[in-house]
Amino acid sequence: MDYRLAEHLPNLRPGKQPPAADELPRQRNGVTPQLHGRYPDYNVLDQREHWDEATRRVVLDRLENVPPPRFFTADEARTLGTFCDLVMAQDRDPKIPVLNMVDAKLFAGQLDGFRFDGMPDDGETWRRVAVGLDAAARQHGSRDFAGAAHDVQRDVIDALSNGKLHGEVWDDLDPARAWSVVMRAILSAFYSHPWAWNEIGFGGPAYPRGYARLGAGQRERWEGAPAFERDVVKDTRERGVEGT
Amino acid sequence: MSLRHGLRTLARGALRPPENDSAFLLDVHRRAVPRERMARYADSFAVDLVIVGAGAGGGTLAQRLARRGWKVVVLEAGPFWDPDEDWVSDEAGSHELFWTEDRITGGGDPVELGKNNSGCGVGGSMVHYAGYCPRFHPSDFEVFSRDRVAADWPISYRDLKPHYERLELELPVAGDRWPWGDPHRYPHTAHPIAGGADIAREGARRIGIEMRVGPVGIANGSFGNRPHCIYRGFCLQGCKVGAKASPLVTHIPDAIAHGAEIRERCMATGIEVEDATGRVTGVIFLCDGEERFQRADAVAVAGYSIETPRLLLNSTSRRFPHGLANDHDQVGRYVMVQGAPQLAGRFPDELRMYKAPPPEISSEQFYETDPARGFARGFSIQTVGPLPIDWAQHVLADGHWGPALREYMRDYNHWYTLGVLCELLPLPENRVSIADGVCDRNGIPVARMDYTQCDNDRANIEFARRKLQEIFDAAGAQDVLTIDRYAHLVGGCRMGSDPERSVVDSDHRAWGIPNLFVADGSVMPTEGSANPALTIMALASRLADRLGAGRLDAGQANARRSAGRRGPRRLPRSARAPAPEGSPTAGR
Repeated sequence: MDYRLAEHLPNLRPGKQPPAADELPRQRNGVTPQLHGRYPDYNVLDQREHWDEATRRVVLDRLENVPPPRFFTADEARTLGTFCDLVMAQDRDPKIPVLNMVDAKLFAGQLDGFRFDGMPDDGETWRRVAVGLDAAARQHGSRDFAGAAHDVQRDVIDALSNGKLHGEVWDDLDPARAWSVVMRAILSAFYSHPWAWNEIGFGGPAYPRGYARLGAGQRERWEGAPAFERDVVKDTRERGVEGT
Repeated sequence: MSLRHGLRTLARGALRPPENDSAFLLDVHRRAVPRERMARYADSFAVDLVIVGAGAGGGTLAQRLARRGWKVVVLEAGPFWDPDEDWVSDEAGSHELFWTEDRITGGGDPVELGKNNSGCGVGGSMVHYAGYCPRFHPSDFEVFSRDRVAADWPISYRDLKPHYERLELELPVAGDRWPWGDPHRYPHTAHPIAGGADIAREGARRIGIEMRVGPVGIANGSFGNRPHCIYRGFCLQGCKVGAKASPLVTHIPDAIAHGAEIRERCMATGIEVEDATGRVTGVIFLCDGEERFQRADAVAVAGYSIETPRLLLNSTSRRFPHGLANDHDQVGRYVMVQGAPQLAGRFPDELRMYKAPPPEISSEQFYETDPARGFARGFSIQTVGPLPIDWAQHVLADGHWGPALREYMRDYNHWYTLGVLCELLPLPENRVSIADGVCDRNGIPVARMDYTQCDNDRANIEFARRKLQEIFDAAGAQDVLTIDRYAHLVGGCRMGSDPERSVVDSDHRAWGIPNLFVADGSVMPTEGSANPALTIMALASRLADRLGAGRLDAGQANARRSAGRRGPRRLPRSARAPAPEGSPTAGR
């Protein structure tokens, strides 16, 4: 696919859905979530020696020390883990442990500095969302959210994102507000992870080195080249993997 | 080219700010502010001034008055940052820079707080602001007279102009010659801009919109002992480099060298008042779980638009049962945010918008009222440059999750982002109050903010959003994503000339309380379409001039000095730290 054209972008496609992720290049260096991405030879962790010590500590700790859920109960973790995987399209390993990262933040009592009027605190919001997802799945005839068919799960998440869930928990909990609370935490967790940076070609920590090449189409020597810029035949020859 | 212009061009960047050595007092080899010899005052010693909050207002005020020999203590709820150790080149890891304690946000159009607009720690929100440092326009000070909406300020642009000029040298501010408002130049030349800004500027030009580079509070080149910018793009995560201006590097070092004490992790919980005289006597604060009381001849509150009203409203007494300075139910009212929708445009080339400081170019072409647009006041156009987590929020706001969200995220390097700052009008119902029955970890009742837009606000935001769309269309964007949001906070303790419709007078003094001042963005009666940091500093600088010159009664500070009593009184340790060695002005 020629990514200079924008034909892969959901807004420009019928049904607003992207092409299947299976068509993306497989990651060859380092890890991306589900091992696909646009920068197959770019591993931001190769640059770790160029980061300052304080940043390296924080980023590597995020990567290496992921505790098991301590805030959520096992039932909540099952429902919410499924939910996190679906909203981030993590359908196979390797996965960024989004739920564990969210759990760690709630367990530590870390707040974001505000809550919407009429909403419980963030931890309680998460627990009620777990109950509410199961309730919404039952309204579709499923036993619970985690065990529901894929299209039921998708409909429930769509309704949550549009603020259109009703009944039980959802009569007391504004679904649109709840969606914004849980997604804020999920996106912060996912895109704070170096695997996600590999996937999107983000330069990652940049102190004390900084950047020198700021122009359109330019990149630093160490920044990842997008796969579509490579001639596949030439690339195979250069990497000495021809015929394998 | 005239001789005068030629000389000014030659001198650019070489001019040192008068009366502020902060950049030269910093250490060359570490980023932490030297404070080994910082003065320490006893709680029982009545200092000349206690300032609550070490941000744009409090930091500037402390430096100015310490220079004049005032004994100043600044109480800061957050930490005294060591950028080498405490700050990281990472989005999620920068959580501690923000005011993260609980607050309730409500009303018809509730405002997200936290990392969006609230700081904590020495340097305040300027530690994580993008760096834009525009001046207000002269029209901002007379909105009611011109447009019959909002309010007039009790002061004019002329009152702030000398302070703008002085602060632009101190930060210093870099940018193109500025044609809007009161036309002026900047002490540092404009920074280079990245590919995305180039494309956006060209798109704007094609439809007759002029965008110029800057103005940003980032030195172009090294400045004193502050190194040059490395264009790493993490301005919102705290500048580990020390290139971006915040009071931590622009005013606090000089304040400390002149005897100010910056007391970190001290949360002010109340201001004491003497019932008989109606004067304030000092500030109650929590430090390491212990409640203490700092005596002072005068108090200046600089906790910004939410914490300042919260402190005043929580400071009840027999004389002020509804909160300090709140006899007319004005504290917390007219709080404002700017409407700040952002549009991202997609282009064939890689733009990698994570590089270079997010603030690159801006336009104030739509700043003033244009009757043809059908609403009062206007907006400015700026650049944003979100990092991945903020970019993900942008994609989510456009309605994408799951595979579609991942696809847009993988496309990150092809996007560039523009934002606007729309001037929204001050309304009495938009206010900060005390939340019913919600307390923070220390048991102090938290603030609640209610915010609803008026029709003028909605029309302004809609028009501005359309302009951004036109710029991206003209630039040839292949796809556009939109997020609606707010930026900045001001108002809540506005200045005015009528005690029944404002909280402080034109000298920032609370009506009816001779020695209580408010020295932050909450005093602003209108917000303009400019980022507020520079104006907050300019207001504090002007207040310091008036206090220091003895034009205001702030207790004994000036009387003592005119009687020649400059030395310390009953101080536990040295009252005025000597200027550190190597300081070019040691002993001045």
